[in-house]
Amino acid sequence: MAFNGPILLKRIPDEASQRKLIRYDDYVASGGYKAYNQALAMKPEDIINVVKDSGLRGRGGAGFPCGVKWTFLPKDIFPRYLAVNYDESEPCTFKDRYLCEYDPHVLLEGIAIAGIANRISASYIFIRGEYHTQAKILEEALKEAYEKGIFGKAYPGTDIVHHCYVHRGAGAYICGEETGLLEALEGKRGWPRIKPPFPAVAGAFAKPTIINNVETLACLPYIVENGAAAFKAMGTPTSSGPKLMGVSGHVNKPGVYEEELGIPMGKLIEKYAGGVKGKYKAAFHGGISMGVLGTNQYDAPLDFDIGKAFGVLGLGTACVTVMNESTDMVKVARNCVRFYAHESCGQCTPCREGSAWAYKMLNRICDGRGKAKDLDLLLEIGLAQGIMPGTTICGLADGTNWVIKTILQKFPEEFKAKIKAESVQGVDVTVGGVKV
Amino acid sequence: MPTMEIDGKKVSFEGKKMIMQVAQDNGIEIPAYCYHPGLSIVASCRICLGEIESPDPKDPTKLVRVPKLMPTCQTPAVDGMKVYTKSPKSRANQKAVMEFLLINHPLDCPVCDQAGECYLQDYSFKYGRGESRFEEDKAKNPKKDVGNHILLYADRCIMCTRCVRFTREVSGTSELAVFGRGHKEEIDIFPGKPVNNPLASNVIDLCPVGALLDKDFLFTQRVWFLKSSPSISPVSSQGENIYIHHNQGRIYRIKPRFNQGINKWWISDETRYGFEFVHAADRLRVPERLQFGSSTEISWDAAILHADEDLRGAVKAGGGLACILSPFDSTEEMFLQIKCVRSIDPQAWIAMTPVRIDGQDIVLKNPQTGAVTYTVKAEKAPNRKGAEKMMAHFGGNICTLGELHEKVKNKKVTAALLSSDPFPAAHVADYRQVLTGIQTLIRLGTRGGAVYERSTLSLPVCTWAEKSGVFENFEGRIQAFVQAIPPLDETRSAGSIFWELLGNNGPYDVRTVRGLMVAAGLNDYGNVAIPEGELKVEEMQFAAL
Repeated sequence: MAFNGPILLKRIPDEASQRKLIRYDDYVASGGYKAYNQALAMKPEDIINVVKDSGLRGRGGAGFPCGVKWTFLPKDIFPRYLAVNYDESEPCTFKDRYLCEYDPHVLLEGIAIAGIANRISASYIFIRGEYHTQAKILEEALKEAYEKGIFGKAYPGTDIVHHCYVHRGAGAYICGEETGLLEALEGKRGWPRIKPPFPAVAGAFAKPTIINNVETLACLPYIVENGAAAFKAMGTPTSSGPKLMGVSGHVNKPGVYEEELGIPMGKLIEKYAGGVKGKYKAAFHGGISMGVLGTNQYDAPLDFDIGKAFGVLGLGTACVTVMNESTDMVKVARNCVRFYAHESCGQCTPCREGSAWAYKMLNRICDGRGKAKDLDLLLEIGLAQGIMPGTTICGLADGTNWVIKTILQKFPEEFKAKIKAESVQGVDVTVGGVKV
Repeated sequence: MPTMEIDGKKVSFEGKKMIMQVAQDNGIEIPAYCYHPGLSIVASCRICLGEIESPDPKDPTKLVRVPKLMPTCQTPAVDGMKVYTKSPKSRANQKAVMEFLLINHPLDCPVCDQAGECYLQDYSFKYGRGESRFEEDKAKNPKKDVGNHILLYADRCIMCTRCVRFTREVSGTSELAVFGRGHKEEIDIFPGKPVNNPLASNVIDLCPVGALLDKDFLFTQRVWFLKSSPSISPVSSQGENIYIHHNQGRIYRIKPRFNQGINKWWISDETRYGFEFVHAADRLRVPERLQFGSSTEISWDAAILHADEDLRGAVKAGGGLACILSPFDSTEEMFLQIKCVRSIDPQAWIAMTPVRIDGQDIVLKNPQTGAVTYTVKAEKAPNRKGAEKMMAHFGGNICTLGELHEKVKNKKVTAALLSSDPFPAAHVADYRQVLTGIQTLIRLGTRGGAVYERSTLSLPVCTWAEKSGVFENFEGRIQAFVQAIPPLDETRSAGSIFWELLGNNGPYDVRTVRGLMVAAGLNDYGNVAIPEGELKVEEMQFAAL
């Protein structure tokens, strides 16, 4: 474990007043596009091998090994596309925005390298609809990159020309799901696709497509320049490299910070975010979809193995939202489920109906009209959804599932306290059959 | 042949098929809402999920259980696979999905047309939990008028999107779409673009619940009173296979009958709504004869006697006979009609009434694949081919209506046995011309009109729904239809009239006639059964909403 200062954020000063947009010239002056030029001289399979060796895992949430994903592309089928997931609509998450708002070229360089490695014909940066300013910044940077010949040029020794486009979303959470993103990119309703076929075989416009998160691609210049070993030196054996971690909520100094994977959450909060305001109670460690860390899980290490060890879905985006003792966890649950009910695309029955049902029920509990039997039913509705039990096409419903499950199981007394006193008298309140 | 096991039953299958298809081919029921063999797979209703054990790719003798539930409509069948749709986990999911679907459903079955043939009802009974645990307010979506024949009760909709996929993939017109998202989403049309394509009303059949309703059928009959008779479209040369749904002598609706080679799962709207003439108020009910300048109602016995006398009288008087076939009659009737006329006058001329052609064939395509999905034939008669076949079989003096006109003018033809109904409006003038000057006109028809007014003897006949027979479609497929409802009042089938005119005893029976036809060398009619359509499901398309 060795982390010596920021890598992705090296051009962005900590001090807010000193931050400014890094243009092409500043970027090159600080060592930018060196990795790109190096990559141009490399064989595509060598780049893929370096990325594979580096152990780089997807930064969007699921943590799928990036190099392995690339090898799923069928051989000799062209054109191939790259879809860059800049939708970043996970609540509590703002790392990609922060990075690209100031340093858009690190993403563009990453895209250019991924392009070389996979002989991509077109890269589509799918940017969240609400990111107006960021889209403008990105488009300007892209213009610069085109002028300097990063894009719009054939790869050496081939006639494949790499183009890059910024595609603005229309503001739906589900379009951050990779196949929902592809549908939206094609101009359709953002309904996640059923697999097979997988995007690597038939993705955007039915052509082989890679979908990578912004931060994943932004790691590529460092990996190509410094080699797999340097990248692997950071983090844990299963979760290598640095990670952008946005800290928000009840902390003294919210913001995006960079640390190596595996750092305990408490350390991150204290080292960078100025500690918790008040007394720590709970935290969303990677967007709300991963579930909540309980009061006794303050020091959970933020790496891809967090899921099994701490009763959450996974690492997610590693953007931590801290809640102190003033937080009403029932209302947190209601707010999260409201989000899922609102953002459910409406394709699969369990998610469409279940999320809205759970939201209505949580509303009733918050209003003090809850009943003793509600909690069991709420948990049952939650558990019935998601790709983990297999009842939905995409993972949106897993968010509903894990939010309900983790909050209900980690803070059952709070729910019990909200339920109408007379309905609890003489009756056991249970959660999943366990007495509260 | 690869084999697999579904719910303990060993089945075999061929080719690339989904588990659901294999199950349906073998009569195993797996509940499904969004799956339809004629549409792309979306796997979104999630009630068909089952537990699956697949052979381990490394060691095919071992089975590996997939940890999560898998959609049987979307998971390909593999040799040696075992599927459990009745396991506790699958059952729990079926229960959960049923409960989810019903929480925002109005449960207004007592006033719903679909009640009795509703998948929500059936599956509630089989897979549901029997009581609701939902205590919140239901989401209420509006009722909408979405087409000339179609109503959409959005509150009953379960969002299976079959209708949306149909308009995108089969009719290729894309009128319907999903609007909104989450539990508030609705199926709707775009402003000013109703669902009025030639296949529009198939979305009503596709709807597994009572959301899409037929205005024509709305509140007219509870479905459990309806009886179903297999039949063939009476209005188009396509030969669409249909079911006539009727009760107490009245047709209430027409539904498609699957036939892979002709109409697949669909029928055109002209066939679906083309039965009004059966219950028209101006149907002829009693035989009438022109006597002393005015038409008089007579009995059937008298009518048959007169017909025979009139035809024989015309020949005796030195005139000739004409036999005019209708492409709306069954082939058996045409056979008897020609036989009947030729038995009186072997030189009788045979002609056929004109066939209505409406512009060009309407060819519908799937816009994504370009494949032809349906053809609505321009030729609007069910049995032109049969008439041509019969004319060719008997040979001799055969002519067109125009040529017949000449012969009538030259007094070579003085009497005609005419089956004329319904005849195309565009040709009424031709008819008049042809029939002007004919002395004896024995006319079989269902309704009045210009020809009826000129007839010396009018014999009211029944429609296709009131008799049995075969039609031959544009490509010569011989397809049988059976009598659905009893003939109106005193009407009789044309076949029974010819049967009696030929001096036969006993009732007119199409099987007997087919026997005669085979004896006459028309072997195609030897083994005509009600075609059920060969059930061969095409390879599935995944796709894109």
